[in-house]
Amino acid sequence: MTALERLARTPIAALEFANTILTERDAPIGTTPKDVVWTHRNTTLYRYRSTERRYPVPVLLVFALINRPDIFDLRRGHSFVEFLVGEGYDVFMVDWGVPDESDNDQGLDFYVCDEIPSAIRETLRASGQDEVSMLGWCIGGTLSLMHCGLFPDTPVRNLLLLTTPVDTSGSLYFNWTARDSFDVDHVAEVYGSVPGRSIDWANKMMKPVTNYWTTYRRLWQAIYDGESKPDAHQAMAKWVADNPPFPGKAYREWITFMYKENRLVRERMRLRGTRVDLRQVDQNVLVVTAGADHIAPRQGTLPLLDMVGSEDVTHFDRPGGHIGLMAGSRARKEIWPDIAEWLAERSDR
Amino acid sequence: MADKPNQDGAPAPTPEQEVRRLYEEAETRVARAAERVVSRDSFGELLAMVTENAVALTRIGNEAMDLVLRNLRIASRQDINRLTRALGRTEDKLEQVLQEVEELRDELGSSSNGGSNSRRTSRRSSGSS
Repeated sequence: MTALERLARTPIAALEFANTILTERDAPIGTTPKDVVWTHRNTTLYRYRSTERRYPVPVLLVFALINRPDIFDLRRGHSFVEFLVGEGYDVFMVDWGVPDESDNDQGLDFYVCDEIPSAIRETLRASGQDEVSMLGWCIGGTLSLMHCGLFPDTPVRNLLLLTTPVDTSGSLYFNWTARDSFDVDHVAEVYGSVPGRSIDWANKMMKPVTNYWTTYRRLWQAIYDGESKPDAHQAMAKWVADNPPFPGKAYREWITFMYKENRLVRERMRLRGTRVDLRQVDQNVLVVTAGADHIAPRQGTLPLLDMVGSEDVTHFDRPGGHIGLMAGSRARKEIWPDIAEWLAERSDR
Repeated sequence: MADKPNQDGAPAPTPEQEVRRLYEEAETRVARAAERVVSRDSFGELLAMVTENAVALTRIGNEAMDLVLRNLRIASRQDINRLTRALGRTEDKLEQVLQEVEELRDELGSSSNGGSNSRRTSRRSSGSS
């Protein structure tokens, strides 16, 4: 490119850059056709029907309480849901909805002891099956794990845990929240539901330059070089910016139980008076960690491999970040097929 | 313009490429330095203090707004939340009734099929309330 061409390119690139940023909210995400199977409070269970169903055991997807589960179905051609449906699975997904202040009193037990069992139950009813494969991601993984540790007779055949925090000591979140000066009770009491923006800000502050500058600089560079993929950027940016509030009680319990007291790995996690016993987790377990995960670092998930009672435990450790591992441009080739293969071997009658 | 090959045969970088490489190197270093800063104890303390201040300001704002609305005889957010919670409790009870009805329907179905239906439900196994 000559100097003149570069000069001429700059205003066009600036216009395209502004357009990409300003129209982020219009990007279509979560577009795979789905049916509503069940609703309760803010929770909705969706079903993605497969026309070429090959495996009888349905897959239930459980995402975190922060951000929306659309990350499972980000955009056409880059959707994990679409991929699973194409592989022949009957896919269900739990959407926790957008809680408001009236949901302040919902603690972790509400999700683990009420909503997940109900979602499993409705999945089984809708699919006409006896068992389900449950895939939890991030906090969704921890909730799924706690469910299996709490209810040994749960009809979960396969438990898939993606970038799931278990032992939080040593993580950056631990450094920020486990200290006495961070008064989580006060935060939860005043806010009721902790604003999603605050949590998003905290997440981004873990890598401030990368999140607040490099992302946009790279976008500019790609646009300037004529190599940009605005669809990919916009879909991810829209998802990242969609932050539902964290219900106050659940937030307080999450920070206190998981960070301040690190109960899960110390085998002291109790919900509704019953101890979460990971030795009771006898499902086929797949644990996926990401080498560059700064939110749920790999070393914080690894203790799980020795803690569960299952005799079938598989661990995939891949390069990538907390979200990029499953939703990045390389996920479709590098991790999804491996997950599908693991699942296929365990999803027959 | 500057494609004179290196010793390994690859074309030499143009000044623009060189500037870009140097910039990216500098950006990476700044990013790493920022990550080191946010992982320090002092940053954690700072964050805790900022959070405390934000929480205090939110509380003052909320209380003032509720006071104004109450004096205007308009339902405040707290009043609406109370009503929403009552609706939520009603929905919980309806959900329990639905589960009971579905279990009874399953039992009726299995008894009419000669008791061959052995499908488990999560509720039975987990005892959710």
